[in-house]
Amino acid sequence: MSTHLPRLLLGVLVGAFIALVYGWLIRPVEYVDTSPDSLRIDFRTDYVLMVAESYASDKNLNLAQFRLAALGPQPPDVYATQAIDYALEQSFSRSDLELLNQLAIDLRALPRPGEIQAP
Amino acid sequence: MSRPGWISFLIGIALGMAGGLYYSWILSPVEYVDTAPDSLRADFRADYLALIASAYASTGDLVRARTRLALFPELDPSSELAALAQQRLAAGLGQAEASALAQLAADLDRQPQSPASTATGLPSSPTTPTTRPSPSSTPRPTPTPGAPFSLASQEQVCDPRLSAPLIQVEVADAASGPVPGVEVIVVWDAGQDHFFTGLKPELGLGYGDFSMAEGVSYTLRLAESAQLVTDLTTHPCEDEDGSTYLGSWLLVFRQSP
Repeated sequence: MSTHLPRLLLGVLVGAFIALVYGWLIRPVEYVDTSPDSLRIDFRTDYVLMVAESYASDKNLNLAQFRLAALGPQPPDVYATQAIDYALEQSFSRSDLELLNQLAIDLRALPRPGEIQAP
Repeated sequence: MSRPGWISFLIGIALGMAGGLYYSWILSPVEYVDTAPDSLRADFRADYLALIASAYASTGDLVRARTRLALFPELDPSSELAALAQQRLAAGLGQAEASALAQLAADLDRQPQSPASTATGLPSSPTTPTTRPSPSSTPRPTPTPGAPFSLASQEQVCDPRLSAPLIQVEVADAASGPVPGVEVIVVWDAGQDHFFTGLKPELGLGYGDFSMAEGVSYTLRLAESAQLVTDLTTHPCEDEDGSTYLGSWLLVFRQSP
């Protein structure tokens, strides 16, 4: 046992090394078939801005909600708010901010799921 | 190393690799975060491209649309957007999106990228803040709202190179410039269909066509016009060898000055 254990441990180390070289260098992870919810914050913000630009023209809030739903399970106005925060941080133009703001306002005006409306 | 020594070593390698894979696949699998649009799955990618076109249809900012499309390095914009428009139309998805895609494809084809247009219109990376250009007020190209289109000419076409008889439509503005993105509606006794000009930019930005079936009488009109073109049926043509084939129609619409 005493002679086998060092060899076994050496094998484990070599095996782990091979696995890491294979996984990191020979065949590293390729990002394919991802969904919009994994987009980087700047791309997500631009995605929301595109929705806002389109919404400014067609005024189709259902379509805007549908598009924003691709960004994840949260209510659509959350994504609009996040986009505004990033846009402010990155000094987006005033017109872009207005588009995002208008979309956020209109989305917030919608009743949340499960919210009981007054008769 | 003795034989038992080699066996221990190989068992160790197998255990090490198994442990590494268990860790990387089960305990701490890869999470996709901070990805770029070009890694999107095909259906999301199509939606993203349609969204770029819809935003362009709203703002008319071709520089920004071009910059967004540049996020897809392997994309051939004009042809792929036109193909996507046709797919969406065939699938019964939003006509507005299909029209926007066709319009963007045509505009990209018509206005080659200038060096100035490579200026970034996209959000910068989080570490390098950049002021975004505001959407320009550049007027969108045709179609010009208000001025109606009317049929300028209608002629039978005998072209043996066509694999099927077609209704070919060319739409031009008052200055004889091609007009992409015009919806054309075709009706026949058993159904109706529609298509847009500009989906085949290689044949002209104002060009669109529709395959005819033999013995069917078609009526056509532009969505923006009430003028009907009726009794469009295939007609016999003869090639140089004396054999007959089915001929097509060419309809030219022009915008009133």
